[in-house]
Amino acid sequence: MFRAVRFIVDLFTQRHGFLAFVFFLLIGILMRQAPVALKQSIINSALGTVFYPAQLLVSSIDGYKNIVQENEQLKEENARLRQETYHASEGLQELARLHSLVRFDDKWDFPIVTARVVGHNPGRFLTTLVINRGTYHGVKEDMPVFSMNGLVGKITKATYTHSRVQLLVDPNLKLSVLERRTRVVGFLESMDGHWLTAMVPTHAGVKEGDTLITSGLGGIFPKGIPVGLVKAVRKSDLDVVRMMDVAPFQEFSTLEEVFVMEKEPEWIIRELLDEQP
Amino acid sequence: MNNLKWIKVLLMFLVAFVLQVTVADWLKIFDHGPDLVIIFIVAVAIHHGPAAGCLWGFVAGFVQDVYAPVEWLGAHTISMTVLGFIVGQLEERFLTLNLPAKMGVLAFGFSICDMVYFFLTGMGKDVGTSLFLSETLPECIYTVVIGSLVFYLSTGKKKKHV
Repeated sequence: MFRAVRFIVDLFTQRHGFLAFVFFLLIGILMRQAPVALKQSIINSALGTVFYPAQLLVSSIDGYKNIVQENEQLKEENARLRQETYHASEGLQELARLHSLVRFDDKWDFPIVTARVVGHNPGRFLTTLVINRGTYHGVKEDMPVFSMNGLVGKITKATYTHSRVQLLVDPNLKLSVLERRTRVVGFLESMDGHWLTAMVPTHAGVKEGDTLITSGLGGIFPKGIPVGLVKAVRKSDLDVVRMMDVAPFQEFSTLEEVFVMEKEPEWIIRELLDEQP
Repeated sequence: MNNLKWIKVLLMFLVAFVLQVTVADWLKIFDHGPDLVIIFIVAVAIHHGPAAGCLWGFVAGFVQDVYAPVEWLGAHTISMTVLGFIVGQLEERFLTLNLPAKMGVLAFGFSICDMVYFFLTGMGKDVGTSLFLSETLPECIYTVVIGSLVFYLSTGKKKKHV
């Protein structure tokens, strides 16, 4: 027994590397315990100096490979779109007339910035994307990001040419959602950085297969962007609340292009955000 | 390590990361892909010992932390430093590891790394266990398969030189 303990102690102390281990571990623990503002500052320094330029290089190489194939596809698409544009312009004229007639309040009347995904966090739990549009293109922090399929997340950091997108599966992103059928408002978050969970009142009667959209109540996301499908409803610790597993409409790991809605948070939300320490 | 070896390991690190953000995505099966960065850390730790394992574990962990949620900064760094140190205890200078042993070390290191990470990010026992079974286990197996190829090729190359 004594020899076994001695062997284990020797294993970790007598050989080289123990000091290095303590040193790096201490740095890791200091980073872990640092205040959020300092953590953000460390991340921003690393991103600005090394990571964005490196990722731009990697994405350029990756992008070049697909240019020829993409060009062919775009030619075909262009021809098809020309046809569709003709019909669409006719429809738009009619729609404009109808809007003016019924004084339709177009809540999504915000300019859209199209962006290419040039990077993501290298870990296995995808929580962040990097896109090739920044303040130069009109992108600002807290602007909603979505794709053809549904909501993707929001901008958390915008530099001159690149921005960082916080995905729905980031545990720090909380979102107010609306169930389309019952019109009940709930709360969506990811507790573990992998799955989405929504909470709604029990009496609402939300069931599997129902659709969640943004409620527009948070002030950041406009109302009506599709978020996901209810996969399962289960009981929570509180009787008055039901937990729901939600499958997002957009698969984040396959995202290549996204759209940034140039919608800044409403003034009251901005005021509340600015009040945060 | 001399300067040439440092440059060689640095290049290996860059290649592992570039492959992780490009090729590893294409290799995904049922949304599970290999972790080439962990293969790199285990390979370096086995070959160069715990000090190098700690250093490259720290660097690789920090790179991953930069893109993780701000509140989790340090979690990858610590877990991969621990991985580098533990695996480094089996340095090839003192022990001779055959391919199955290296695969076992890789699987062990992978599991330890994820368990430390789950602990540091404050995941509860239930969530941690569920993630371990649904994510860590399949990705660990996949990583060991890819890692065995890497180890086999690197060992084969050395034998040819001998």
